[in-house]
Amino acid sequence: MKAKEGILDQLGTILTAELTAVHQYLLHAELCRHWGYERLAEKFQHLYTEEVTHSGQLVRHMLYLGGQPDVGSLEAVRDGRSVKDLFETNLAFEQEDVEMLRKAIAHAAKVGDFTTRQKLEEMVVDSEEHVDYFERQLATIAQVGLTGYLAEQIKS
Amino acid sequence: MKAKEGVLDVLYKVVTLELTAVHHYLLHASMCGNWGYERLQHEFHEHMTEETTHVSKVIDHVLYLEGEPDVQKLGAVSSGQGVQELFNADLKLEQDDVKLLREAIAHCAKVGDFTTRHLLEEMVVDSEEHVDWFETQLRTIKQVGLENYLGEQIKKDS
Repeated sequence: MKAKEGILDQLGTILTAELTAVHQYLLHAELCRHWGYERLAEKFQHLYTEEVTHSGQLVRHMLYLGGQPDVGSLEAVRDGRSVKDLFETNLAFEQEDVEMLRKAIAHAAKVGDFTTRQKLEEMVVDSEEHVDYFERQLATIAQVGLTGYLAEQIKS
Repeated sequence: MKAKEGVLDVLYKVVTLELTAVHHYLLHASMCGNWGYERLQHEFHEHMTEETTHVSKVIDHVLYLEGEPDVQKLGAVSSGQGVQELFNADLKLEQDDVKLLREAIAHCAKVGDFTTRHLLEEMVVDSEEHVDWFETQLRTIKQVGLENYLGEQIKKDS
């Protein structure tokens, strides 16, 4: 089925963001493991598995729409020197992702592609859960202090 | 623990190659799914998961050796118009992977880093299994014909 106007471009941009997220969370999982925070390593592992699933779904949908998905492009992968750095970086990243998905959802509705809209809506639900997760961690750190928070991340 | 000379350089190359393989198999899994070959989609998905595990292990080890893993770099991801083309592209990728890993293993042995060598040897075993798998598929296609081979890829084994 041929894509409606502008859909494949939007999906291509989102795919690049999701693939970047895979790399980012993969790196952050290992950083946390290296720092001794097994609980956080597992959380980031879970996050990158979700992003791999999103990427696969996007590629599949783009092929269905007759597109040629580019899996070779990446945005800048963001790093961090501490757990708090990683949380702040990832919060900003996920907030950008939510904005991008919202624009794509609005566009898909405007051109009448409700299937793509539905798929993107399912993805934005996940992205907003990620925003919520990072906001919550930062809130907890503000309340119990960084060392108190980090001590709870050692054991999964 | 600080890395011995040249070890981090080879490990960085391995990270890039393994990440490229993840992207490769993600794309190829979806392409096979789009063409109706569930069995191949599943197989490529398994390959992708294995490569992701490899990358994680190497990044973990690079950090242990006080390196700075670069997850930004990617090699070229090749595609194809049909399953046979995908297999040819993937066979080449895996053969390149085996070559790189063998060079890295030899280097680690030379500088006396046997732990890194051991890690890379575990990975080259997997890569050679992948080479074997792709060679086998291409050989089966020659023997039974492409149409018959593809007919067997529609249903995923239960």
